[in-house]
Amino acid sequence: MSAVDITPHSPEKTSMSIRSVINNAGIGIALLLMILFFSVASEHFLSANNITNILTQITINLVLAVGMTFVILIGGIDLSVGSVMAFAAVVAGKAITLPGLGATELIILAVLAGVLAGMVCGILNGVVSAYWSLPSFIITLGMLNIARGAALQISGAQTIYSFPFAFEEFGSKLIYGVPVVFLVALTLVVIAWFVLNRTVFGRLIYGIGNNEEAVRLAGHPVFWYKVAAFSICGLTAGIAAIIYMARLNISSPIAGIGFELNAIAAVIIGGTSLSGGRGSVIGTLLGAFIIGVLANGLILIGLSDFVRQMITGLVIVIAVILDHYRAKYSAS
Amino acid sequence: MKLMKFAAAAATSILLSTSIAAADDKPVVGLIMKSLANEFFQNMLAGAEAHAEKRGDYELRAVGMQNETDFESQINAVENFITQGVDAIVVAPADSKAMVRPLKRAMEAGIVVINFDVALDEGAKKQQGVDLAFVGPDNRGGAKMAGDALGSALGEGAKVVIIEGNPGADNATQRRLGFEDAVAEHKLNLLDSRTAHWETEEANQVFATMLTANPDIQGVMAANDSMAIGVVKALESAGRSDIKVVGFDAIPAVLPMIEDGRLLASVDQFGQEMAANSIDLALDVLAGGPQLEGWVKTPIELVAGE
Repeated sequence: MSAVDITPHSPEKTSMSIRSVINNAGIGIALLLMILFFSVASEHFLSANNITNILTQITINLVLAVGMTFVILIGGIDLSVGSVMAFAAVVAGKAITLPGLGATELIILAVLAGVLAGMVCGILNGVVSAYWSLPSFIITLGMLNIARGAALQISGAQTIYSFPFAFEEFGSKLIYGVPVVFLVALTLVVIAWFVLNRTVFGRLIYGIGNNEEAVRLAGHPVFWYKVAAFSICGLTAGIAAIIYMARLNISSPIAGIGFELNAIAAVIIGGTSLSGGRGSVIGTLLGAFIIGVLANGLILIGLSDFVRQMITGLVIVIAVILDHYRAKYSAS
Repeated sequence: MKLMKFAAAAATSILLSTSIAAADDKPVVGLIMKSLANEFFQNMLAGAEAHAEKRGDYELRAVGMQNETDFESQINAVENFITQGVDAIVVAPADSKAMVRPLKRAMEAGIVVINFDVALDEGAKKQQGVDLAFVGPDNRGGAKMAGDALGSALGEGAKVVIIEGNPGADNATQRRLGFEDAVAEHKLNLLDSRTAHWETEEANQVFATMLTANPDIQGVMAANDSMAIGVVKALESAGRSDIKVVGFDAIPAVLPMIEDGRLLASVDQFGQEMAANSIDLALDVLAGGPQLEGWVKTPIELVAGE
């Protein structure tokens, strides 16, 4: 399957893969330096417990960021993922607390309902922004409010609780110290990597971000590819909702406020260009790790909440500046 | 500019016409709450609506806000109520300073104003020459009750941490101070105090990390129950059943946790009745009763297991 050959930018393909290795290596080195710093600064940082903690803590952001990578690669943005996650969690929460069903049926029903709810929001985002060629920034800003309002309406602004035990167990289960929910996230990264790098669909996602018109002229249905990118993002928001519920054993309609920004930050720190067409989901994985390690490590070394917030902001800005030079360097 | 004026005039006339249409002999009470996305205010609204129906001798007009920091829309709500000529305004201010001036205008328009839930700032009141009583719970006292429960369960010298609400929010500050009062009284050892912005997931992450940094923590004081739930889940994942947790608000989701001991205690400030009680007070004043003075404390109660 030589899918890569139909990429509109096939002459660039070799340099692109080299560049992507260099990009990821840069982020990887930054992450390693951070880990090195925190392990010297805090005796607890590299403890088995803390590593489990970090893996748990980055899971939801990573899941959201995987979907976000697809949208940003086509040159879009999805501001609604935090709200969509809350909406999906409330829908799944309503399903899982239905009376008169067994635990297994309830869990299956809730997972399907939550994932479907997320996907529907994603499809709407995609259809509306692609059909009318509207900026996804505005459309997903609309969805941010629609989904949040729907979550509050359906739940009556009440926290939904008391889920089947098996569901809760899944949320806190560890395999050799690795949270099962993190393995779910990692599986999504692997699937996304395969789709983006080894399928026609994936190469066209890059293609649309690079030169939408060229892809269209080559006879590909750009509309549907865009809808697909947004529905993948909605899908991951639905999966994040299920993980949220399993971990915390509640569904809160005010969950996930501002999560979209962390997901976008993970993607951008991971070296994916905000203007689309360039980046990788492996970068996103590293980006999510950088944010998670930072949040964890800065608490461990005892920095105040406010300083912590400033440093996190600073890292995002530095990442974008680096990206600017990276783009300039690779263009010349 | 002209257009703006026209729009404002049009809006005013619409509001006026509705207030004329509603003019029967029942007094009209405008209730202004904070974010209705917050379970606490949602329950409060339900309580007020049930109250209005039960009493039946006044008309309730309730408004909430989009989120906790949207105080612009609260100011607009006060102005709208003034234009509508309501008889009383019962308000839970989103900002204890910004709301003083608009409320002063309402009082000058002859409207009975009752400030509940969050107290207006004393300095701002003095500056504007406003004399207004406060009807509400003692957040600091309530947090102290929860902290006391933790202190007596753990004993002197116990190592504790605080999970705070939104930095800058008045009730978050009061609850933190109440926890600190309990820390001082029971001679507890306060290791760390951090915000999780009232949110379950963030509390879960922040506390899990605090526990790593201080594995010898014995007690946790969370400024609301949503965050207490996140702490309890973090303790469960870490397999620590020796650490005691207290919360605040007594929301339904934590009652099973209090029953089975995962949560030591929470504090009920009867939010559902708070608006209704304030409306009662407003109607008493309207009926010719004496003006309220100082701080009318509403009940708070420690909710603990057997």
